[in-house]
Amino acid sequence: MRAAMSSLVAAGPITWQLAMSSPFSEPVPASRGLSEPLGKPSAAADLPAPGLAISGVSRTYQTDDGPVAALGPVELHVPQGRFVTLIGPSGCGKSTLLRVLAGIERPDEGNISIFGESVERARRAKLIGFVPQALALLPWRTVLDNARLPLELNRSGGANQRKPARDPSEVLRALGLGDVLDRRPAELSGGMRQRVAIARAFVSEPALLLMDEPFSALDELTSEVLRRELLQLWHSTRTTVLFVSHSVSEAVLLSDHVVVMTHAPGRVATVIDVTLDRPRGDLVEVTDAFRDCEREVRLALRGALVPDQQAP
Amino acid sequence: MTQPEAPGGPGPPGYTGRRRRQVARLATQALPGAVLLGLLALTWQLVAVHNAYLVPRIGAIWDQLVDNPREFVDAAGNTLQESAVGLGASFAVAFSLAIVMSHIRVIERAVMPVAVVINVTPVVSLAPGLAVALGFGMAPRYLVTGIIVFFPMLINSLIGLRSVDPEALQYFASLNASRLEVLLHLRIPSSLPFLFAAARICFPLSIIGAVVAEFSTAGTSNGLGSLIELASQQGTSKSLPEVYAAIFCLALLGLSFTLAVTLVERRLLSWHPARATKVNA
Repeated sequence: MRAAMSSLVAAGPITWQLAMSSPFSEPVPASRGLSEPLGKPSAAADLPAPGLAISGVSRTYQTDDGPVAALGPVELHVPQGRFVTLIGPSGCGKSTLLRVLAGIERPDEGNISIFGESVERARRAKLIGFVPQALALLPWRTVLDNARLPLELNRSGGANQRKPARDPSEVLRALGLGDVLDRRPAELSGGMRQRVAIARAFVSEPALLLMDEPFSALDELTSEVLRRELLQLWHSTRTTVLFVSHSVSEAVLLSDHVVVMTHAPGRVATVIDVTLDRPRGDLVEVTDAFRDCEREVRLALRGALVPDQQAP
Repeated sequence: MTQPEAPGGPGPPGYTGRRRRQVARLATQALPGAVLLGLLALTWQLVAVHNAYLVPRIGAIWDQLVDNPREFVDAAGNTLQESAVGLGASFAVAFSLAIVMSHIRVIERAVMPVAVVINVTPVVSLAPGLAVALGFGMAPRYLVTGIIVFFPMLINSLIGLRSVDPEALQYFASLNASRLEVLLHLRIPSSLPFLFAAARICFPLSIIGAVVAEFSTAGTSNGLGSLIELASQQGTSKSLPEVYAAIFCLALLGLSFTLAVTLVERRLLSWHPARATKVNA
């Protein structure tokens, strides 16, 4: 079996450590998460190589009907340079987790370390790239000026970055937008707008790229093309990506690891390592290995959807 | 699939064909208005011929304008200056105040009741008092014009600065954009449609302000309002045509204001989704 389910559902906070050595990681034994002391979820932070470490992060919304637990506690460690997809039932807090990581919302509890920095400092240093679900392109700016936006904002933060920023028009051309640099978003199709948002995220060369269901509003054929383009762009940077998806095949196609989350309040149900070769071939979707991996994720999702199996 | 198609569909039609269609469209759009205007003018003229003391004949109004163009041009210039200065000053104050109010709730709570009181007070009633207090120069005229346009400017600016796409705001937050950057790159551009809506209301309103102020301070520097006030007091046979000639000039002034706003808006708001042409790809 090419795809390995790292572990099954377990109660309590478990640190999901995605293997450091290679994307083709050894399956983590199911007993490992269980045997770890529950009170020490921050083992990920001790790892030598930098990455994204989330420990005990939870978020509760105050509503008129009382508090509603939306997220967590979430334990997750993502090594640098991995493409990780979050998948789970709708309303399980995937987007909330992304917003917490982007510094848009504060978690009620828990610690986050982004390459050794707090969310606040990572945000200040412009380490985070965010592609919101609704794109948030500025309608009065041209395609080129939209892609340039992250370079114009918070300039001092950008100066601290190790890597120089990429030329926005170059990134746009790589996504086939060379002919519409001077157009405004309202003049573009949904797929083209989506490409602008992706280009904008890559322009500032963020160390951590957060993408919130970027292709959910597109038709299947367009998103198919865009996934390939995203993969190509990602290969040129190998930045760490946390991608929220509700499509199993999308998750398998893109990711090194698929994180399956439980229904609300969302926790990590299981992590599935995708051991398909990179770059992913043109027809990878029809291979048996791909199908196996998909089945793995689907079964894990089915498990996460049934509340009985989640009860501690 | 990334290639945008030229707007207007495949294959541009011949220029003559397009021109003919444009003329046809203009005719269908403008014709009903022109016909109604003609009918109204005809009615006016019929009333004027039978009852000269009610309304003057159109020819008499025209004679006034042609015989003494200098008087009307000068007066229109004065009125224009009063509206423009009042508008400009009022906009500067209202927009700055709206920026402060949109950031600091306490200021908003303090200013809003006062702004509402100013708004519900008939500005016409303020004009004579202001004239007594500030003399018969231009100052009370600027002030009346400024006050009359202040409230719509303030409210529209405030709503405009607040009507920011929350997702865009979150995106800016993820980049750690400063308040100033959010203001310059997000809030002010977002407020533009609302500012133009305000301009559509305020530009004609400013002429009302200027005329009202001139009524109360007639006798000094002449605007179109002063002209009307003086002519109607004289009561000669030329008074009525002169009054209506001045009114005609005021209407023309308002029309050119509105036209100017429309042209600038079309240019600056070309990005607005309601105006943009869609491209399929």
